Amino acid sequence: MIGAGQGHHSHVLGNRPFQFKRRETDRIVAGVAGGLADSLRVADAYVRAAFLTLLSIWGIGGVLYMAFWLIAFDTVEDEEVEPVTSSQALGLAAAFGGVLFLLGAFGWWPNPVFVLTAAALSFGTAALTDSSRPAPLAGLFDPNVEKPSRTRILVGVVLLIGGLSILNIRVGGLFEFSTVFLAVGLTGLGVAVAFGPWVRRLLGDLATERNERIRQEERAEVAAHLHDSVLQTLALIQRSDDSTRMAMLARKQETELRDWLYGSVPLDGIDLVSTALKSAASRVEEDHQIPVDVVTVGDRPVDEQSKALVGAASEAMVNAAKHSGADRMSLFFEADEAEMSVFVTDQGRGFDSSAVEDDRKGIANSIRKRVEKAGGTVEIDSEPGEGTEVVLRMPVEIS
Amino acid sequence: MSVKVYLVDDHRLFLSGVKAELAEEFRIVGSAYDVDTAIVEIRGFDPDVVLVDVHMPDGGGVAVIEGVVATNPDVKFLALSVSDQAEDVIAMIRAGARGYVTKTIEPPDLADAVRRINVGDAVFSPRLAGFVLDAFAGAIPSDDDPELDQLTSREKDVLRLIARGYAYKQVARKLNISIKTVETHVSSVLRKLQLSNRHELARWASKRRIV
Repeated sequence: MIGAGQGHHSHVLGNRPFQFKRRETDRIVAGVAGGLADSLRVADAYVRAAFLTLLSIWGIGGVLYMAFWLIAFDTVEDEEVEPVTSSQALGLAAAFGGVLFLLGAFGWWPNPVFVLTAAALSFGTAALTDSSRPAPLAGLFDPNVEKPSRTRILVGVVLLIGGLSILNIRVGGLFEFSTVFLAVGLTGLGVAVAFGPWVRRLLGDLATERNERIRQEERAEVAAHLHDSVLQTLALIQRSDDSTRMAMLARKQETELRDWLYGSVPLDGIDLVSTALKSAASRVEEDHQIPVDVVTVGDRPVDEQSKALVGAASEAMVNAAKHSGADRMSLFFEADEAEMSVFVTDQGRGFDSSAVEDDRKGIANSIRKRVEKAGGTVEIDSEPGEGTEVVLRMPVEIS
Repeated sequence: MSVKVYLVDDHRLFLSGVKAELAEEFRIVGSAYDVDTAIVEIRGFDPDVVLVDVHMPDGGGVAVIEGVVATNPDVKFLALSVSDQAEDVIAMIRAGARGYVTKTIEPPDLADAVRRINVGDAVFSPRLAGFVLDAFAGAIPSDDDPELDQLTSREKDVLRLIARGYAYKQVARKLNISIKTVETHVSSVLRKLQLSNRHELARWASKRRIV
């Protein structure tokens, strides 16, 4: 971003405040050198050369690179920057040279030959590859090239041979750490220059392709699901004249879609009581055209006991749908460490529990039998005109 | 003077439906399809009750509540949603909504909820009652204020009955207490939900998302 109006106290290089961000595009490692080049408004090739030169002095370049990487949080798209004037560029070069020789004066160079060789090689390469002006090797780091070009391979091989020959030339310092370091660095650089952009492009292509495929698979899955469920239901609704039926279709679809969108996925294939109760409730909704409001608190895996509980709850719901006359009912399930309980509640006409007709008694008995056989209890609470509540309780066996 | 109601929902069809249902009894002072308009207009109209959708672009219902609560502290919010996601519902309540109902609510029940919210009561749908019971089921009281992190057994009884589809009146009769007492219990649960240990509730909500 160009910070207009803040120029008075800003950097010596112009009226643009010094803002350091890593580059998002057109980068080789993490965009640090590129970002720094943008901030200093010089060609990135020279900043990279500077880092490489400093790398030959006990790896300072690497440490500096890491440090800049750490302080730069943001990455930024490649932006056009106005290059510094030639006198400013000369100043920067002189400053860098000064720092380099100051390190030498303090005796911190591992070996003058290495440092100067590294400096000559890196800045030489930079001059050859500077993409900001027509240069013989410009575009060396451009990833949009099909395969390694002849010039790139040539430069890479020269660097490689240079790196390897340093190992051989310095007989006395063959196993000196800095020698190995520089040699490995140059060799690595050679390989990187020769094949880097090509490999990078290949990796980038693979990632893009993979993302695209995942996206398409997801879209296909969503489309298939919507087609089988929502679209079918909408077609059914359009063909239906009965408003109750329409409402039920819509409700069933809603439950189903919601389950698909936010539904609880059974862990490790274990079926949960809450899921079993919900599907029992939606079966009742479908068969008897009456909404069931399901609320569950806590959960348990389905076992023999809870199967009895779910079966009995289904029966109670069917019973309420057939006989209560209510226009909706509630199913409440709660599980804690000690027991599971189910409440099937309707606000319908209710009945006198002491004087029920045989049919209803039969159902009550059947519910009772199921639950009691599995070790639970049943309460049926009803008064004429007060609705009905069936309460099923089942102790949880401590295994 | 009739109750001033403001509606916020990005789903226009639903919004006009609710408007028609409530217009008989309440004064609809305005409505908005998006968060920013809603905040500006609610500040201006200063309605008694705002019905606000949970899911909207630009922050949803939570953003509306947070944008208004400082300037108009007396506005009461009722959250409306098709969402069953506990964390959405709980987030609305914690932002300051005094109630939550699903969009499938019957028109008379919705009107009743607005009335209740207006006089300062809390409105819990069966589902919200279930969420709250679930959220506080394994709650370990924190050291600072253990009372806030647990429900009394009476409060749990009330919530269980609401979760079973009982109206406040029926809850009162079932427990042999007055409707006023039921309202007090529900308000106290609402307060605990808004003030209790954030950490516990956040963890509960995120756990539900995974399971």
